[in-house]
Amino acid sequence: MSAASVEVSGLSAAYAPGPPALRDVSFSALGGQAVAVLGPNGGGKTTLFRALLGEIAVVSGRITLGGHAAYVPQTERARLDFPVSALDVALMGAYARTRWYRRVSANDRRLAHEALARVGLEDHARKRFGTLSGGQRQRALIARALVQDAGVLLLDEPFAGVDRVSEQAIMEMFDTLRAEGRVLLIATHDIEQARRWDRVLCLRGVQVAYGPPDTTLSTEVLEATYGAEIVVLEDGARAIAVQHHDHAH
Amino acid sequence: MEILHSTLLQRALLEVVVLGAACGALGVWLLHLRNAYAAESLAHAMLPGLVIASLTGAPLVLGAAGGVLVAAVLIALAARDSNVGAEIAVAITVTTAFGLGAVLALSPEVPARLGDLLFGDLLGASSGDIAVACGLAALIAVALALGHRQLSLSVFDPVAARSLGGRPQRVELALLALLAVAVVAAVQGLGNLLVFALLVAPAAAAMRLGTSVRAQLALGSALGSLAGLLGMIASAELAIAAGASVALASVALFVLALLVRPAQGAAVDGATRRSAIDALSARR
Amino acid sequence: MQRALVAVVALGVAGGLLGAWIVLRRLAFFAHAAGSATFPGLVVAGPWGIAPPLAALGAGLAFAGLLSRLTRRAGTSADAATGLLLAAALALGSVLASDVYSSGAGVDRLLFGTLLGVSDRDLWLAGGVAVLAVVASAALARTWLATGFDPSAAPALGVDGARGDRLLLALLAATVVAALPAVGALLVSALLVIPAATARLLSGSLRGLLVAGVGLAVTEGVTGLLLAYHLDLPPGPAIAVVGGALFALVVGTRAIVAPRARETLA
Repeated sequence: MSAASVEVSGLSAAYAPGPPALRDVSFSALGGQAVAVLGPNGGGKTTLFRALLGEIAVVSGRITLGGHAAYVPQTERARLDFPVSALDVALMGAYARTRWYRRVSANDRRLAHEALARVGLEDHARKRFGTLSGGQRQRALIARALVQDAGVLLLDEPFAGVDRVSEQAIMEMFDTLRAEGRVLLIATHDIEQARRWDRVLCLRGVQVAYGPPDTTLSTEVLEATYGAEIVVLEDGARAIAVQHHDHAH
Repeated sequence: MEILHSTLLQRALLEVVVLGAACGALGVWLLHLRNAYAAESLAHAMLPGLVIASLTGAPLVLGAAGGVLVAAVLIALAARDSNVGAEIAVAITVTTAFGLGAVLALSPEVPARLGDLLFGDLLGASSGDIAVACGLAALIAVALALGHRQLSLSVFDPVAARSLGGRPQRVELALLALLAVAVVAAVQGLGNLLVFALLVAPAAAAMRLGTSVRAQLALGSALGSLAGLLGMIASAELAIAAGASVALASVALFVLALLVRPAQGAAVDGATRRSAIDALSARR
Repeated sequence: MQRALVAVVALGVAGGLLGAWIVLRRLAFFAHAAGSATFPGLVVAGPWGIAPPLAALGAGLAFAGLLSRLTRRAGTSADAATGLLLAAALALGSVLASDVYSSGAGVDRLLFGTLLGVSDRDLWLAGGVAVLAVVASAALARTWLATGFDPSAAPALGVDGARGDRLLLALLAATVVAALPAVGALLVSALLVIPAATARLLSGSLRGLLVAGVGLAVTEGVTGLLLAYHLDLPPGPAIAVVGGALFALVVGTRAIVAPRARETLA
């Protein structure tokens, strides 16, 4: 596939008439890059994703996407009691290109099976989504994004609550996806993990910083992002944020 | 068995079996989308429309449709005030509409068969009523088949739905419209207090027993029809009101499903302990 | 007629106070369903020789108990379970009324209330519930507010949420049962929900909500009662229509005078 891209300039987005939940975000990323999106709960990570998906209103600014955007949400939020199989979930990736009066094409079915194989779930294709482990659910949703043929993947805390085996598989998956020219935006709380990616975007209702992790993740930036006491351990390799419970979400 | 000998009963049976099939499937989606409250309320709120139709001699279906439309508009208007919220808007509209319907029906100078409107008059179904019921049931079946993917997206992943080609807001509206159609179709036979039983009980039973969405939909339809059949037989053999009999049969099937599968997993968003009141209050 | 007026005033006090909590704790559907669920109890009260309030209470408690079991142990969603039980209660009541006990026209009275024959017992019940509501509201307001706002934090605040909730539900049951003779099983919301919901639009504070709620409930109750008397109707529907009209008036006025008003209570 040709290289994807994301370009955002001066973006402000809001959920409803009222003050924007996210203000003044500007960054760009090219195919093959992975961007960590860092910030506290309610700081705007999910808001950014929803704006990129076109699901909430853009108050000002612009979004330019090269390629489709696919959302890989936190699976705790998904409807685990809805009885769909892993294959059904993968097939959802083809819905957008299937006309309402037609069945999903045989080609798309094949793509769904292939996607599941790529994420290592071909043996679990018929199992109910809700019965899969956290890591397997993540992989199923990634398969869905593959079927979508999405150039831009928005991943909401993909490693939260994921077992070791799945974490490894997902990391390898990410490398492959980047090699294919896709853009990955990875919302995360893990500052340590954020250092591994190509770029990091720090959000706290507004954009605090954007750039390569080495130069961007300074103590000042982290404090501004988390608005709290930062305890830095192990020579700056690890930082723990003591978060004050903020009701203003 | 008496039902084998009476054309009247056979016609009523046909109507209720067809309606049961449609309502059973529709009910599965209503429950997945947590719209049961809306269903109940629309059914109640149409009473004035029914009464007016009954008093003016207009077809009940028209009164039902009109009543539903007005109720939906009023609810939408009330809910726009940010201090009101959807649940209250519905509660007030329903109560007021219900009261208005009763006022119109019980004003002494004017007779109106309030009992029939509340609890249904299945045996009084004309051929026209049955034709309408079958037609509307077919409409529902077709709509559910064509809209299956959209409905799945709205339930499973509403946030990502648009990026997957879904239109969650349209789905919401379309489902409410289908709900209105179902209630209009079934209200003549079951009355606006009991319609809800056929919409929710077989579906709730199907959801306990079915392991995939398609299985649940098929089971919902089958159980809905079965409720209709069992209800009609019980009504004929035990000489009890047909509409109520069907409603009780629906609930009985749910109870059976409960006995077969007593405990389902905790609700998705309920790993936390819920207070007594949270367990009772109907939230979306 | 005078007795009916006294009863309605007392019920207005109870309904206005309790209604504030019903609205705040999102129990509107439950309250309506609980009221309707008493219908089978009311139908069998006469034939079985049980005092109607007792029979109604029994039916209401059975409803609440089953609902709680269905939602907590059997994993049914609250709105589905509420609706199911509601439909079952109405169907059962209708079968009992028309085919088992031939209650006939008496059903209207049970469903929509009656002006005639307000017995001493009904008056005592209404008065008692009003007193209970005042006392409980004064004593438990903090508890109910804290539990409603953030159930998990309540114990840390030294508030016994579970017991407070049980008392709230008990008070709700008592008020519903007391209101049945006046407004009927299907329209308890006319006194328990509509006035409080209207009051919420008029006042931003809890105290205001309680006071306005009582004021509105009593006014609507009395007006509806008088209307019912003059038009020869059951009181329940008349009170409901008065309440609804007033609500519509307030909503309409707000829409014109202060569009996009955004203050929310608690």
